[in-house]
Amino acid sequence: MEWLQHYFNFRIVGNYAEVFLAGIGQTMWISAVCLVLSLIFGTLVALGRLSKNPLIWRPVAGYIQFIRSTPLLIQIYLVYYGLPAVLPIGNLLDEKQTGILALTIHTSPYFAEIIRAGITSVNPGQIEGALSVGMTPRQTLVNVTLPQAVANVMPPMLGQTAVLIKDTSLLSIIAVFELMGAGLKMFSETVIATESYVTTAVCYLMIYAIMLVVSGMLQNKLGGKAWRAN
Amino acid sequence: MDSIIDKIGIVQALWPSLVKGLWMTFQISILAILLGSILGFCLGVAKTLGYFVLEKLINGYLHLLRGSPYLVQLYIIFFVLPSLGISWLQFDGYTAAVVSLSLYTSSYVTEIVASAIFAVPNGQSEAARSVGMTRSQTYRYVVIPQALKLTIPPMASVYVIVIKSTAVLSVIGISELTRQGEVAIMRMPGDIMFIYCLIALFYFLYCYPVLRFSKWAEGKFGSVGDVDH
Repeated sequence: MEWLQHYFNFRIVGNYAEVFLAGIGQTMWISAVCLVLSLIFGTLVALGRLSKNPLIWRPVAGYIQFIRSTPLLIQIYLVYYGLPAVLPIGNLLDEKQTGILALTIHTSPYFAEIIRAGITSVNPGQIEGALSVGMTPRQTLVNVTLPQAVANVMPPMLGQTAVLIKDTSLLSIIAVFELMGAGLKMFSETVIATESYVTTAVCYLMIYAIMLVVSGMLQNKLGGKAWRAN
Repeated sequence: MDSIIDKIGIVQALWPSLVKGLWMTFQISILAILLGSILGFCLGVAKTLGYFVLEKLINGYLHLLRGSPYLVQLYIIFFVLPSLGISWLQFDGYTAAVVSLSLYTSSYVTEIVASAIFAVPNGQSEAARSVGMTRSQTYRYVVIPQALKLTIPPMASVYVIVIKSTAVLSVIGISELTRQGEVAIMRMPGDIMFIYCLIALFYFLYCYPVLRFSKWAEGKFGSVGDVDH
């Protein structure tokens, strides 16, 4: 193990284990909050996009296009520097809340597109069939439409969640403490790049591995045609 | 009215540096797209050849690149590789940017190419083999031409991802569009919002046509499924 010590010093990493654990916790927490907010806001955006009224769907489509064709970093800067200038309450949010807001604004359109695809993915014949065998519209929705829509939507949803977790790393640029921030903290205190950044990468890969396992379990549970794509 | 003239003045003052930044963004993104697509194409074809070990190795490579944020990959290539003491791995900022973005691009392209090849019906290659084509001829003349058509729409959305990822390069001091904007803000701290909106507009003008092309190509060529993000 001596030669390995030359490249990678486990002892120093051990000293920073708590910092990295806190970083993982923060990353998971920020991702979870953003996930919930983006699902709610994304559903609204999806419904707005599906609306027949051009006064609603055109601005919503413009919002989706704007988010999809500008970098997340610029969006974070716009929210971080722009919010206090535009809204009087902007000053009340600290950088973590601002970061969560920016990430939610960024992620919602992606979720909206997935949800929109899910809503339109269920074959109308399924609904007609359910109604024709005497199910009520409510039963149809709960027992026929929703299970299929959720199963179809799950794989891209999980993929987007993985992207969201990775995207939280950019919040370190506006000084939010999370996993990347833990790596930067270790680097700024010890000035050893290898241990700091490789450990950060390993932590992200662990989160990713857990997500892979969870998505495998969900796959067995839900089935659904879209799983083939992964 | 005054404020509009004011803003026009800002745009005029910043125009040269922003265009320089856009040119840098363009240069790096095109290089990364080219190199990453070549690497991704080779890996994607290799993944479909049916060698178990090779496939697992490529999958491992993909998981490594897909499971960690691009920012971390950039830091590893820019800060960690030089400390290994191997002379040809000591990249300057520009090379590190191009190498890391190319690897990042290749992870997307590999999956697209592999799934496009799998999407070509089996009967096609069986028919080619049965009329006496060798395996490489089958790939060269039958499978790959059909598969490449399917890759066009998702490839365009990958290119948008790559273009957007170049913004991250500002953290290692590459003077691309975002970095030029940050410098401009140091010069004119009163107009942060305006300058960032201007930069967002530049990115939009670069990415939006590619996204539209992707959408159009999807209708024309069909698709093998969208990429995340």
